[in-house]
Amino acid sequence: MKKLMNKAEDYVDEMLDGLILVHPSLVRDGESGRVIRRSAGARQGKVGIASGGGSGHLPLFTGYVGPGLLDTCAIGNVFEGPTVNSCLEAIRLADGGRGVLRLYGNYGGDRMNFDMAGDLLEDEGIVTTTVLGNDDIASGDASERDKRRGVAGLIYAYKLAGASAEAGADLETVTRVAAKAVAATRSIGLALSPCQVPTAAHPTFTLGEGEVEMGMGIHGERGLWRDGMKPADALVEEMIGRLLADRPEGAGERVSILVNSLGATPLEELFILYRRAAALLAEAGLSVVMPLVGPFATSMEMAGASISLCFLDDELAGLLATPADCPFWKVG
Amino acid sequence: MAARVENLAAAVARALAGIGPIERDLDAADAQLGDGDTGGMIARVIGRMAATDLSEDRDMGVALTKLAKAAAAATGSSLGTLVATGFLTVGKAVKGREEVPWGEWGPLLATARDAMAARGGAALGDKTVLDGLDAVAEAIGAQDTREAVAAAALSAGRRSLVNFRDRPCRMGRARLHAERSVGRDDPGMLALVLLMEASLSPEAPAA
Repeated sequence: MKKLMNKAEDYVDEMLDGLILVHPSLVRDGESGRVIRRSAGARQGKVGIASGGGSGHLPLFTGYVGPGLLDTCAIGNVFEGPTVNSCLEAIRLADGGRGVLRLYGNYGGDRMNFDMAGDLLEDEGIVTTTVLGNDDIASGDASERDKRRGVAGLIYAYKLAGASAEAGADLETVTRVAAKAVAATRSIGLALSPCQVPTAAHPTFTLGEGEVEMGMGIHGERGLWRDGMKPADALVEEMIGRLLADRPEGAGERVSILVNSLGATPLEELFILYRRAAALLAEAGLSVVMPLVGPFATSMEMAGASISLCFLDDELAGLLATPADCPFWKVG
Repeated sequence: MAARVENLAAAVARALAGIGPIERDLDAADAQLGDGDTGGMIARVIGRMAATDLSEDRDMGVALTKLAKAAAAATGSSLGTLVATGFLTVGKAVKGREEVPWGEWGPLLATARDAMAARGGAALGDKTVLDGLDAVAEAIGAQDTREAVAAAALSAGRRSLVNFRDRPCRMGRARLHAERSVGRDDPGMLALVLLMEASLSPEAPAA
């Protein structure tokens, strides 16, 4: 698999160098330069939000640092969690004196490192809380939601918690909003072709030219089924059907939808998916608020798409509409 | 008969000397169900550990803690963080001591195993590196020479691979492929055995 890179081991650092050159609102920080923070630094008096995750998913996770979203993000190597030190630095750099929410996807390495960083920070007096994104319905049964992975739907937690923090809410409230956003969000993806970790010798999985895999995760985690390629409408019908079957208890009639490219799938095909998804949501009696279509959480060159639904009540709908600004997503 | 800092440094150096085939084997094992980069990650960890200067250190606790920090700085992967947790735990337990008798390493590894289980959330039987470590900790028990500890550890590690090969993984990403993990070695368990073979075997190249 061909990649535009120099040395594989420089992939992440050279990517970050380019990212901050293009977007001066972002700054590399931390001993190893593996924390991205807002150029203005943490705002005193505001609850901080620190996230983190492996590289290879831009705009997730690093790209969502900005007003109304994240304060900092720790970055790991491709498909590897950030180091303990980077997590620790991301939390410190997000601290504006009112505590820091650690908000990231439910992955083993990320969890261990943020937990260890929290232990090490106990003596520094920084109060932290944790909320884990777990929107991928294909990665675990509904009875095991705490084992599900976080994928593209994590951006709703970023947006909603970020809006709450920006409005001056305390740590308890920001944490509650983040947990509520996670509980309100469901995602499912499908893959058409694999990706490859820059330092690996082979793609993360193989998929036949005429095949599709439903439910695949953003690191190539195995999905629900693999079969011959089907028309877009049939795939969307299954995806929306599975998402609605898993809808949160008490979910209302407003929903935001994110149709996301996993990297190689073009906008044209995302709009084809959206067209049928919107019709299905209308048939289900749901009204769509702020539809999002584009690459929001990718897996490098993987072809495929995911659909996320975030079920909104008055509080979440209000927070979703407030201004936010990062290099890859602007609201208001 | 006891382990000193120079034994630690020599073991790390031997692991580094043998890292080439280990990296390839682990990448291949990880590629079965994962993204195929466990070998590269372990190579970074060992490389960073080997680059850690222990020449002035006498305190085993300080040396192990330095190696833990090196591992933690090299990677944020689950396995790498578990390695760091294990080294940190043993380092805390032997802080202030220049020698740790070989007969104490079984209980020390058991302490590391428990700390790693608490950090990562895996249980014994889940087919992870913890199962290999558990077998090694039990096998070396109260062996009181380096040679006896090495022989018991290698034998137990290899046996644990065989014992678990036909069982399903119940942790992490591999749990999603539980049925496909049957008949395959867990990359973490394999890493433990390959690294022990390089660092503990009598025939391993000297530092």
